[in-house]
Amino acid sequence: MRSTHEDPDPSVSTAAIQVQSLRKTYPGGVEAVKDISFDVAPGEVFGLLGPNGAGKSTTIGVLTTTVRPTTGAARVAGYDVVAQPLEARAASSVVFQDQVLDLTLSGQRNIDIHALLWGAPRGAADRAHEMASLLGIDGILARPVATYSGGQRRRLEIARALVSRPRVLFLDEPTVGLDPRIRAELIDAIAGLRAADGMTILLTTHYLDEAERLCDRVAIMHEGRIVTMEAPVTLLGSLGHEVIELRVPGDGQRALSVLRAQRIADEQAFAVGGTLTIPMRNGDAPRAVAAIRELGIGATAISTRPPSLDDVYLRLTGDRIALAA
Amino acid sequence: MATMTLTPTAVTAPVRTPRPRVLAAVATLAARRLALSVRTPRELVVPLLTPVLFALVIAPALRDAFGATHNGVDYMSFVALATVGLLIPLNTQFAGLGVIVDRLGGAQRELLAAPIPRALLVLGNVVVVTGITALQLTVLIVLAALRGAQFHFTASGMAWFVGAALLFTIGMYGIAEALASRMARQEEYISATPAVAIVPWFFAGTLFPISVLPAFLDAFAKVLPLTHALAVVRYGLLGAPASGLHDIWGSGDPARMAVYSLGVVALFAVVGLGLAVRTFTRKAVH
Repeated sequence: MRSTHEDPDPSVSTAAIQVQSLRKTYPGGVEAVKDISFDVAPGEVFGLLGPNGAGKSTTIGVLTTTVRPTTGAARVAGYDVVAQPLEARAASSVVFQDQVLDLTLSGQRNIDIHALLWGAPRGAADRAHEMASLLGIDGILARPVATYSGGQRRRLEIARALVSRPRVLFLDEPTVGLDPRIRAELIDAIAGLRAADGMTILLTTHYLDEAERLCDRVAIMHEGRIVTMEAPVTLLGSLGHEVIELRVPGDGQRALSVLRAQRIADEQAFAVGGTLTIPMRNGDAPRAVAAIRELGIGATAISTRPPSLDDVYLRLTGDRIALAA
Repeated sequence: MATMTLTPTAVTAPVRTPRPRVLAAVATLAARRLALSVRTPRELVVPLLTPVLFALVIAPALRDAFGATHNGVDYMSFVALATVGLLIPLNTQFAGLGVIVDRLGGAQRELLAAPIPRALLVLGNVVVVTGITALQLTVLIVLAALRGAQFHFTASGMAWFVGAALLFTIGMYGIAEALASRMARQEEYISATPAVAIVPWFFAGTLFPISVLPAFLDAFAKVLPLTHALAVVRYGLLGAPASGLHDIWGSGDPARMAVYSLGVVALFAVVGLGLAVRTFTRKAVH
């Protein structure tokens, strides 16, 4: 191994992350990722959304070189993950979905090991202190990690990942399993990191509020495919400024047909089981609700609310992310 | 795997990124493994218990019961050195558990994401297990000598001893790490320990020369790396008559036979380490 590195192919100067026609079929025939392509620009925060089994973690596995692609190609910071795995790993850090810490060692020792293995330049100690302070764990770094709470461990993992000043940071379900208060604090912390460092972040999550809050763009994955890829605001805009949600006994498709015939619902409306979601685009939700009540379709509950990415996912896949996860 | 060429699309010129040097990376990995090991002292002590008891209790008792043996060599010394062949396999097997703990505990994923060749993860472990084994062997030999074992401490003898012990440790750890990489659970791994670490000991000329074994077992003993390692270890600290080299190679120059046996142990080390690296790196990527 040399201390300097092979440059990427100069003819392929790339986005921070580039994935093209990627497929992964595991031994046994499970197709986890089915021909996905996307680019992430430098400094962008990009979200991969979807339930467990959608292919998000496999995609991160390919990008961090722990999963070998079956076909297709991927680059991190311009480096091909198959041909130049060491360079790709040197340019990135990852916070895994599961806890990945040496519990019997101190937090500081965990950070130091990362810094040394990534060949972090001089000043890594200051950087570690800065990151720990930013994430609110600087006072506990001397303690064994086994004594940390779940939220503190997650903060330590993020601080550790940042010590090497990665150009690309992978966050695989960073807030899963945390209680709501810690989760909210961690989202704030990640948002702060983005503002402070401007690094490229690829975030996977099945928490849609997290994606709305943090991501410039999101790709929604379903059964190994990307079903849509847009800015969250664009995806939400596709459903208007408000949605009506109503529940009817039995199959909602018949009720949906009635509503479409009455021009209360358009093609963006959808039904999953007995729940109908009807986007409102022109601010006439109260009138639509009244019209629905008069139709006598047997609605057992009816409400209005702002659209969410869950609605987008539901419309595209017929399944709720939270339920599927 | 089919790969494809990406269409050149734009924008940022990739920047050189620092990476650690090989030695620095191995030193970091070894320091990590050592820090984890010293926090679980039983990993250091337990493998030492049985060999020490053998050397300090059973070997003198056998000597007192049956007197001197083979070519006039003190039986206690003969058996005390045989415990080297018990200590190294037990210690390396215990050390292999760390690989499973790393994998099941998740820490291995962070290491796999590091910008270093994954073979270095194995080498870092080898460095530590070799160091710990050296410490344990020192304790074992000193205790046995204090108990009355008669070793010949010469520079060349120590060189033979250290060479054989070092290479055998590397080979055995390679086997242990390869097993740990292949086995999903600690229980499964532990159940393999007797077959790997203890059974060969009974056939390798530990308590008696292999020449007294039936012909088919004698042939089996001669292909065991442990038989060769013990022969060289004894050649170094007890001299040629007690080494068992003649039982392996027939008549000849003892030094030449020791070189042959050391070569066998070296080959075992290369194969074991290669197997460990290959198994670990293949299992690390899905």
